[in-house]
Amino acid sequence: MRLSFSAPRLVLSALGACLVLFVVGPLLRLLIESSPGGLIQSFNDPELQSSIVLTLLTATAATLLAGTLGVPLAYMLARYAFPGRRLVQGLIDLPVVVPHPVAGIALLLFLGRRSVLGGALAHLGLEVVNHVPGIIAAMLFVSAPIVVSGAREAFRSVDPQLERVARTLGDNSWSAVRRVTLPLAARGIVAASILAWARSISEFGSIVILTYNPKVASIYIFDRFTAFGLSAAIPAAVILLLIALGVFLVVRLLQPGDPA
Amino acid sequence: MIRLEHLHVRVGAFALSDISLEVPQGGYALIIGPTGSGKTTLLEAIAGHARLGAGRVFMHGDDVTDLPPERRGLGFVYQQYHLFPHLTVRQNISYGIAAARRNGGESATRVEELSDMLAITPLLDRSVRGLSGGEQQRVALARALAPKPSILLLDEPFAAVDPSTRQMLRRELQELHAREGITTLQVTHDFDEALRLGDLVAVLAEGRIAQSGTPEQVFRYPNSAFVARFVGSGNVIAGMVERTNGESEEPFRGRFFGGGLQLDVVANREGPAHAVIRPEDIVLSLRPHPDSARNHMTAQIVRIERLGPVSMIHLDVGRPLIASVTSASAEEMGLRPGGQVVVAFKATAVLLV
Repeated sequence: MRLSFSAPRLVLSALGACLVLFVVGPLLRLLIESSPGGLIQSFNDPELQSSIVLTLLTATAATLLAGTLGVPLAYMLARYAFPGRRLVQGLIDLPVVVPHPVAGIALLLFLGRRSVLGGALAHLGLEVVNHVPGIIAAMLFVSAPIVVSGAREAFRSVDPQLERVARTLGDNSWSAVRRVTLPLAARGIVAASILAWARSISEFGSIVILTYNPKVASIYIFDRFTAFGLSAAIPAAVILLLIALGVFLVVRLLQPGDPA
Repeated sequence: MIRLEHLHVRVGAFALSDISLEVPQGGYALIIGPTGSGKTTLLEAIAGHARLGAGRVFMHGDDVTDLPPERRGLGFVYQQYHLFPHLTVRQNISYGIAAARRNGGESATRVEELSDMLAITPLLDRSVRGLSGGEQQRVALARALAPKPSILLLDEPFAAVDPSTRQMLRRELQELHAREGITTLQVTHDFDEALRLGDLVAVLAEGRIAQSGTPEQVFRYPNSAFVARFVGSGNVIAGMVERTNGESEEPFRGRFFGGGLQLDVVANREGPAHAVIRPEDIVLSLRPHPDSARNHMTAQIVRIERLGPVSMIHLDVGRPLIASVTSASAEEMGLRPGGQVVVAFKATAVLLV
C-alpha cells in the first residue's frame, strides 16, 4: 500500500496510536520495573511456585473439560439444524457478559454444600467450594464460550461435502468426522483451546469468591498486594505476565496469517 | 446394474418426482438436463446422501434403499472434485482403500496402477493444493475408483476444465470404463457429451424424466419441444396440424401451420403440435428443381457458422431456420450472407411432437 499523509489518515493514525500505547505502556512499565535478581528471588518462593503450578494444572483441567464437552457441541452447532440451536448458542455465550464476581456468586449457590448438586458431590467425597474443583469450575464457566465458539467456527470452515465424499469411500459417519473434519478443524480447535487456557489462567473475579485458598497465581498476586503492598506483588505479576505473553505468541503462530 | 423405481426426493423447495431408470451392468448412462433440473440431487439420492420420500434403489438386484452411503459400494466424483486438502495426492487416492482394508481386504498396489493409468504418478507425493483443474479431476477419479466400486457416479466431471483437457479426460474415462467395466451414471448439461459417451441417456426437466433412450433415439425422435430444444435436435416450430383429406387411417398426410409457414407433414393426430426439423434434413439449392421433397421455400441467408467440416446456415424464411451443409458444398455453392437460396425438405423429415 502507498503511504500518504492526508489529514483524515493522520487523525486515524493518532487515535490508533493512543490506544496501542495505552495497552502496551502499562505492560512495558511492569516489565521494566522488575529486576532479574528480584524475579529469581521471588521465583524461589515456594508459595509462588505452588500457586503457579496450581494455576497451570487447573487451567489445563478446565480446558480439557471444556474441550471434551464443548467440541461435540460445537460440531452440532456447526453442522445440524435443530430446534433451539440459536437458544443453545446464546446460552453458551452468556458467561461472556456475566461480571465475574456475579459468576462466582452464582456458582457458589449452584455448587455450595447446601445446594442439591454441591451436596450430592460432597456426599460422594468431592468438595468443590474452597477446594481445587471450585477453581476448575470457575475456569470452566468463563472459558467454555471460547472453546465452543472457536471450535464451531473451525468446523464451519470445513466443507461439509468432504464428509460425504468420505462416506462414499467407505467411511461411516463417525470415521468420516475423525479422518476428515477433525484434522481440518484441528488448528482452529487447538487455537481456541489455548485461548481458553489463557482465559482460565487470567481468571480472578469468580475464583476469589469460590476458592480463595489454595491460591491460584492471580489470587496470590492480589493477596501479596493487599498484605505487603505494590513492590511485593510485582515479581509474581511479571511472571504471570510472561506466561500469558508466551501463550499469546503460540496462538498467533498457530493462526493462519492475515490475508493482507 | 442400477435400477431406480419411482423415486421421489424433496430437498427444500425442490422435488424429484417419479424417477424410474435402469442402467444395465457395465453400461454408461447419462442424465442430462438444464441447471436446476435436479441432476445432482438425483446422484446424491442414489449415493444415499439424500433421504427418499418414496421409491426404491437397486444395485445389482439388491435393494440398497436403506443402506448408508458407505455400504453401497459406489464411487462418486464431484463437480468440484472435493479432494481432501490435508492429505497428499497418494493419501487422497488410497483413502477408500484404507477404509476397505479396515473391513478386511484390498491392497495398495492399486494406487500405483490407477495413477499409472491416469498419468498422475509424478504427483503422488505432492499436496493437492496447487494442482491444476485437470490434475485434480484425475486424482478425484483415481480416488473414486481405488476401492474398486461396481458403480461410478459422475457429477459434471468435465465442467470445470478447459476444452482440450476435457477431450483428453473424456477419452481416458471411456478407456477406464471399458477396462474396469463399471456401471457408470454421469450427469451433464451437455448433450454433445451424451452423444459421445453414453449408451443410454435420460433427459431431466423440472425434477422429472422427460425422455430416456439411446442418445441417437432421443436426438432423432425427441418426444417434446423441450427435449428437442434441449438436445439441439434443430428447428422447433409451434403450430397446428390439420388433415388435408378424409382418410381416417394413421399416420395421415396433413398440413402444419406455424411460425408463418405451411408445411406438408405426415401426422398421427390433429391439433396443436411442435414441428421439429433437423438441420441436416434440409436440402439447399440455388434454383428450384423438381424432386420428391414436398416442402419448398425461398430463404435469405442471414449468417454462416463454420464448425470445421460442417457449416450451419442461418436462414430467414419469414422465421429463423437453421440448415447444415458440408463446408465444402457451402463453398462450392458460393453461399454468403444476404444471398438467396431454395430450401427443401421431405414431409417425413418434419417430426411432430
